[in-house]
Amino acid sequence: MRGAVLTMERGTVEQLYFMEQAFEMARTALDMGETPVGCVLVYEGKIVGHGMNDTNRSMNGTRHAEFLAIQEMLQSYPRSALRSTDLYVTVEPCVMCAAALRQYRIRSVYFGCGNERFGGTGSILSLHSDPAIDPPYPVYGGLQRKEAIMLLRRFYIQENKKAPKPRPKKHRELNTKFDDATSSI
Amino acid sequence: MEVQDVIRGVQPLIGDLIPIKTVQETQPTEEYGEAYVAEVNVKSAAKVVKVLDANIPRDPVRPMNHLRRFAKQSNLPEPLHPLLLGDNPSPQSIFVLIPPPLPEVELLQELLAPFVVPSPQTETEADTPSDTQSQSTSKVKLCTVKVPTLPPLGAAQADRWTNDLWPVVYNPAAARATVAPPVQVLNRTREFIQPDAGWYLSFARKVAEEAVQSGRGRSVGAVVVDPDIVSRLLDAGEDMDFRWPDAIVAVAGDARYSRREAGQPSAAELYTGVGPNPATETYNADLEGGPDLHALMRAAEIIAQKRRAGEWEAENDELPSLSPLEAHFISQLDATAPKAHSESKDTTPSPEKYQKTGVEESHAIHISAASKQETTPGFRIRPRTQGGYLCTDLDVYLTHEPCVCCCMGLLLSRFRSVIFPQTGRMVTGGLASEPVVTPVPIPESEMTEQHNAEHSEHSQGHMLIQDDDESKRTRQYYGLHWRKELNWRALGFEFIQENGDHENLAADGVAFYA
Repeated sequence: MRGAVLTMERGTVEQLYFMEQAFEMARTALDMGETPVGCVLVYEGKIVGHGMNDTNRSMNGTRHAEFLAIQEMLQSYPRSALRSTDLYVTVEPCVMCAAALRQYRIRSVYFGCGNERFGGTGSILSLHSDPAIDPPYPVYGGLQRKEAIMLLRRFYIQENKKAPKPRPKKHRELNTKFDDATSSI
Repeated sequence: MEVQDVIRGVQPLIGDLIPIKTVQETQPTEEYGEAYVAEVNVKSAAKVVKVLDANIPRDPVRPMNHLRRFAKQSNLPEPLHPLLLGDNPSPQSIFVLIPPPLPEVELLQELLAPFVVPSPQTETEADTPSDTQSQSTSKVKLCTVKVPTLPPLGAAQADRWTNDLWPVVYNPAAARATVAPPVQVLNRTREFIQPDAGWYLSFARKVAEEAVQSGRGRSVGAVVVDPDIVSRLLDAGEDMDFRWPDAIVAVAGDARYSRREAGQPSAAELYTGVGPNPATETYNADLEGGPDLHALMRAAEIIAQKRRAGEWEAENDELPSLSPLEAHFISQLDATAPKAHSESKDTTPSPEKYQKTGVEESHAIHISAASKQETTPGFRIRPRTQGGYLCTDLDVYLTHEPCVCCCMGLLLSRFRSVIFPQTGRMVTGGLASEPVVTPVPIPESEMTEQHNAEHSEHSQGHMLIQDDDESKRTRQYYGLHWRKELNWRALGFEFIQENGDHENLAADGVAFYA
């Protein structure tokens, strides 16, 4: 029943460039103590919105990268422009963002790694393709997947020091995924 | 109208709260595994349990307590009779179940050998001609059967399994957090919320009315209540029928037409008429603003803004523009604040936190102002510096079932519970949308007596509503409030209004995201 998510390990030069810009945002988020997720919105070959997670600073659990990017874009473009806009995001959009992107009628979504806890475009739910009152959108996952996972790992290791009660399962998942790459950190 | 007049004009809705079913309940997954059944001497039953428990490890993650350990011949499900009883059952035998994870057969034979049924005259084990008498007495008869590996969700399911597979126990009080909220927690919260829910849901409609009449949004409203304040009011012997507004920490109305896009005037600004914005009459995606302007998301941001109070980094934040009702509640003080908050020598925020950000004196003034404030009752929404965090442990009352996006926002904000009138179910909803047009898709046999009782009592009128629109039937029942896959969960309730039959169903109107 899961909606199709296409896997792409190699993107075009352009796609890789936009993804790299999303990673820049994610790294900034990590430096600021936020979950390292970043994104950019691309309209007519140009980046028109940037976003990174902002939940800790803002005390608002809904301030995810996608929302910030859309709000930036709407300062300069009408909402209808989102229909011709692509999202590049380092981690699969969560259930909330996947639903929001559907409402905003995004053209397509490219993401780095999947989100097994909250993912809304294939992992937990498939809100990009479920029946709804707005049209579905295509999703391409796997662009620079390792890099995206490494960023998350770094964050969770960091969080581990602060939090008295880390979730052991979470760490186990992150650790087993790619042991070979871990040693390179 | 003055805010106080609006509050005075509220008449509570009369009715009952019922828990929203989870997807695990409405679309139960049945998982089965293989188990061994061994025929042992009925007199050794206690010893058999001891030996098995001591030697066969159990999977603590998958408790099998719902499966009965033993079945007498008379209790065996009929489909197992040919397998286990043959045609000559020994009166001395009883059947013990060895649930998964399964041990090695050799180990099991060794453990159970002392408890073989002593029945020299029995023919059942002589099926195979090669079996000699001595072998058959030292070996237990072992059969493989299919058992449900998850506990039953209701008595009806338990009965079905008991009749078809293996005797099963249904324990309604057993914690099954991945399926549904623990019954005790659900009941306790329901009892706590029930008496005042009619006030808050009625007031949510006032907030919705303000939103739609202002031309800024659709007729959707949210009222956020702090149950701790309710508790303190009750402890002080206050009458909630008068004091209910004092526990409201924030209200928010829909404002989807209020955003300026590309520097142009918003749809609300462009509309100069009186009353609802014409955009409410249809669904035009380009005019819908976005989910961040929905009532629930705005409530989360209004609360977050209050939590950030006094933080210099937050000064540049774009703040939502507030309606009179929204502005009123956000500025209210908590008259019930416990002593610990007002005598706040201990809880004074540490200036270090501010110094760390590298700011100079003006902010030191901020701090002293903030700590002075603590000697008087604080705001109902405590700032981060006093331990306030997201929307933790707050209850949100809504006029409509929130859209999928807002439902996840609700979880990410850590609300304790969400309550809306059943007439507010939406085709786009993320909680219980499906049954608004079709009855809950559970075969009659799956319905527990409990569910039957609840629904026939409260919601007959609504549950039977049918809709001929085939396209609507393909919608998902998301039940986002309590899904086993998600890390965060909230309690979900629907309010069934007494004599509410005249109420329009939101789902019959324009399909939009609430």
